[in-house]
Amino acid sequence: MKITEEIKALREVVIAGVGITKWGVFPDQEWYDFGSEAVLLALKDAGMEFKDVQTAFCGSCYQGVSSGHKVMAEIGKTGIPIINIENACSSSSSSLRLAYQMVATGLYDIALAVGFEKQRQKGFIPSMAYRPWERALGFNVQPASYALQTVRYMEEFGISVEDFSLVTVKNRKNAMLNPNARFQQPVTLDDVLNSRMISTPLRLLHCCPLADGAAATIVCSKDKVKQKKRAVTIAATTMMTGTYGEENISRSSAKFSGPTAHMIELAAQQAFEIAGCGPEDIDVLQVYDAMAPGEIWDIEKLGFCKPGEAPHLLREGYFDIDGKLPTNTDGGLMGRGHPMGATGLAQIIEIAYQLRGEAGQRQVPKAKMGLAHSLGTGPNSVVTILKK
Amino acid sequence: MVTAKKKQVPVLEGAWTVPSSSREKPQLIGSECPHCGEIYFPRKAKSLCVHCQREGLKDIKLSRRGTINTFTIIMQQPGGNYYHGPVPYAIGVVELPEGVYVETPLKADRLEDLTVGMEVELVIEKIWEDQATGTELIGFKFQPV
Repeated sequence: MKITEEIKALREVVIAGVGITKWGVFPDQEWYDFGSEAVLLALKDAGMEFKDVQTAFCGSCYQGVSSGHKVMAEIGKTGIPIINIENACSSSSSSLRLAYQMVATGLYDIALAVGFEKQRQKGFIPSMAYRPWERALGFNVQPASYALQTVRYMEEFGISVEDFSLVTVKNRKNAMLNPNARFQQPVTLDDVLNSRMISTPLRLLHCCPLADGAAATIVCSKDKVKQKKRAVTIAATTMMTGTYGEENISRSSAKFSGPTAHMIELAAQQAFEIAGCGPEDIDVLQVYDAMAPGEIWDIEKLGFCKPGEAPHLLREGYFDIDGKLPTNTDGGLMGRGHPMGATGLAQIIEIAYQLRGEAGQRQVPKAKMGLAHSLGTGPNSVVTILKK
Repeated sequence: MVTAKKKQVPVLEGAWTVPSSSREKPQLIGSECPHCGEIYFPRKAKSLCVHCQREGLKDIKLSRRGTINTFTIIMQQPGGNYYHGPVPYAIGVVELPEGVYVETPLKADRLEDLTVGMEVELVIEKIWEDQATGTELIGFKFQPV
């Protein structure tokens, strides 16, 4: 692949500073309040000022026109190019990717990537990603889309509801070690299995909670770094969208095996090739647990184990913080909460903290390399690999 | 003076055949590619095949019976104000003999009796009625044979 050679030849780009706000439900705050807070935290972390930032990429889903401009207007009006990005749940990981490209190609030396979301509704999100007739038939229910895949996965691999319920138990336990997570209380397997049914076989505690929150990173060339100990290298950032047959099960006769299978595998393969490493080199992992069973097949599709193997590894504690491959160490979407436009960057920031050795009680010893994967309606898949 | 007559609206225009006699039964209409053989439901508005990206898609009447590939019973009202039907309700994916996977509402006397692999057949009927506007949405469903 020629393109990966060209990417490898680009200059090294680092995340020089990170900022993340406390996530939860904040009726008195708007997205520009916590969005600007995250940016200021990232600047402070990097030892930089807003006037150092040369361009900004702002991810969100449902915040409306020029949402990023309103965030920056809380900080400074320096006239820099501000680009707003809506890419579903990969909005802010897409922001980071664009910031990376700008710096790697030398067009800018210091770029800002930020993601933010203020949730506006109770119950299911309207999920405008569906066509009008699909909404009229009541297809626009995210847990239902996952439920259809979950039933297939259970049929194919013979796994039980208990198997994927353990994802929630693990991630809620991890969230207790993350002061910024929305949820700070553990749940038991019984709690999960007895929670309200949402879309069979998925129950309330199989579904990630929404949240208000923001996350920001300062992306720059190595020579611009002010706090050397905090800088982590972006080893790869790749994006794939759905390939034929996986766009949507209702629109093709391609064998139904979950609408996003091929895309995730390709995004991961490209990322490993660019980073010059493999799954065995990853010390800490952030995957997409919007729904509990999703974490299981995400781990498998990214190449960390064989299809159908993750539920067994999960039971053995393989993905625990003290396990072989700690996964969703900050609580994941399930425990941290899911402000759609901010989640992608939060996953990446957790990897950065782990590589910096600043993850506190959830620190994975000697973490040198980590991978984050966000998955968005579209579908789209963004894989980011960071290294020390 | 406006009468109280209900306005019937199909969820998708031209997505199924309308029988001319009581002996016939409606069929879903898909698109078939004469080049690569791919079949789509719903039928494509353009004649371009998104699999092989060549022109020339033709309408094809699809089998009325198939099997449930996967399904879910949704227990809560969807977001937005687009769906006005009953809750709980079931949706699923039905595999037709042509190899097409159709995402569809499912109908059953008892939703909990639905199972993967169950044989189902097409019905065209009211999906819901919007009391506020008096509109009836007509659409496709599959129900156990």
